Amino acid sequence: MQPNHLETTHVHEVYNLIADHFSATRYKPWPVVDSFLRELEKGSLGADVGCGNGKYLGVNKEVFTVGSDRSDKLIEIVQKRGFEAMVCDNLSLPYRDACFDFVISIAVIHHMSSPERRLEALKELLRITRTGGRILVFVWAFEQEGKRKYQEQDVFVPWKMPKKIYCPEGQPTKGSTPTEEGSQDIVYQRYYHLFVKGELDELITRTGMATIETSGYDRDNWYCVARKT
Amino acid sequence: MRLITHNMLQCHAKGCDPSQSYPLELKEVQLESLDAEYSEDFIRRLIPKLDWNVLVHTAFALGVAELPKELPDVQDEAFLRKVHQVALETRVKEAQMVCNGCGHVYPIKDGVPNMLLQDNEV
Ligand SMILES: C[S@@+](CC[C@H](N)C(=O)[O-])C[C@H]1O[C@@H](n2cnc3c(N)ncnc32)[C@H](O)[C@@H]1O
Ligand SMILES: [Zn+2]
Repeated sequence: MQPNHLETTHVHEVYNLIADHFSATRYKPWPVVDSFLRELEKGSLGADVGCGNGKYLGVNKEVFTVGSDRSDKLIEIVQKRGFEAMVCDNLSLPYRDACFDFVISIAVIHHMSSPERRLEALKELLRITRTGGRILVFVWAFEQEGKRKYQEQDVFVPWKMPKKIYCPEGQPTKGSTPTEEGSQDIVYQRYYHLFVKGELDELITRTGMATIETSGYDRDNWYCVARKT
Repeated sequence: MRLITHNMLQCHAKGCDPSQSYPLELKEVQLESLDAEYSEDFIRRLIPKLDWNVLVHTAFALGVAELPKELPDVQDEAFLRKVHQVALETRVKEAQMVCNGCGHVYPIKDGVPNMLLQDNEV
């Protein structure tokens, strides 16, 4: 499948279909993201690109963060929560160069299905960051601590959604795989590229637009803080 | 969309003239106001990050407020409160945002800008 078609079918359409359920499961901020946001200088301007349900937009009330996501259904939820939000694509951001002090990308880049697209997404994040500003990026790790083990870096990860609550009779089930007889769940397949150790740092270095300040592993994810040069 | 956000938005269509892609012109606008907590410190630090000319022009064109063309040297509380009201408490509910470079129209519906382009426009 073409990278953009793969993402349309196995990322964008899926997030729109699972938006309510996804949002109901996303409320606890990850500690590394939480402290990055809390330590920002007062009055900072930032962007959360691929903000999902906006769970990080209210963490620090002394900065202004614009949320954005490819999924209009998720952005509808963000808007209802009173946060600043818009629909746009990480691969072509509608912001002027260097206008943000910080940019966060939490669990988004791993949904891009080719090395070129992942690089392009990072370049966009850095283009909109001012010189001296910082980005924080989290991606799923190939090296999983938990129960999940994968044989390949490019995989489909099922999202199971209780049929009764989220898909009453007559609702669209597009993209779902047939469920077993009597199953209570609808299953959607989300595409992920799992990052191996060092891969995220290497990709950020390859943009030629930033230096890496911190990188590490936390809860099945690789993360990196980089400063725009 | 608050006016502070408009201050950062630019057209990103393929081949759009970069000298014309910012700012986006707001047309057929429906505004609403909201209450945002005022913090003097926050506003003071925010002002130097804004494109001041664009904020002044937009606030005037929408009939929201008349801000001084030049940033005043002494920024008193009345001034800071005005900037707060313009940038953070004025929200565009419905509008068409038009690019003066390529004519692309980005809609704002129910307060949410849709900045997506078609595959052949990126
Ligand atoms: C795993 S979720 C993470 C959401 C949020 N950052 C969080 O930490 O809860 C991935 C998000 O990335 C968004 N996304 C995927 N591809 C995108 C793209 N090309 N541009 C913008 N957002 C994208 C999805 O719609 C989804 O909301
Ligand atoms: Zn344009």
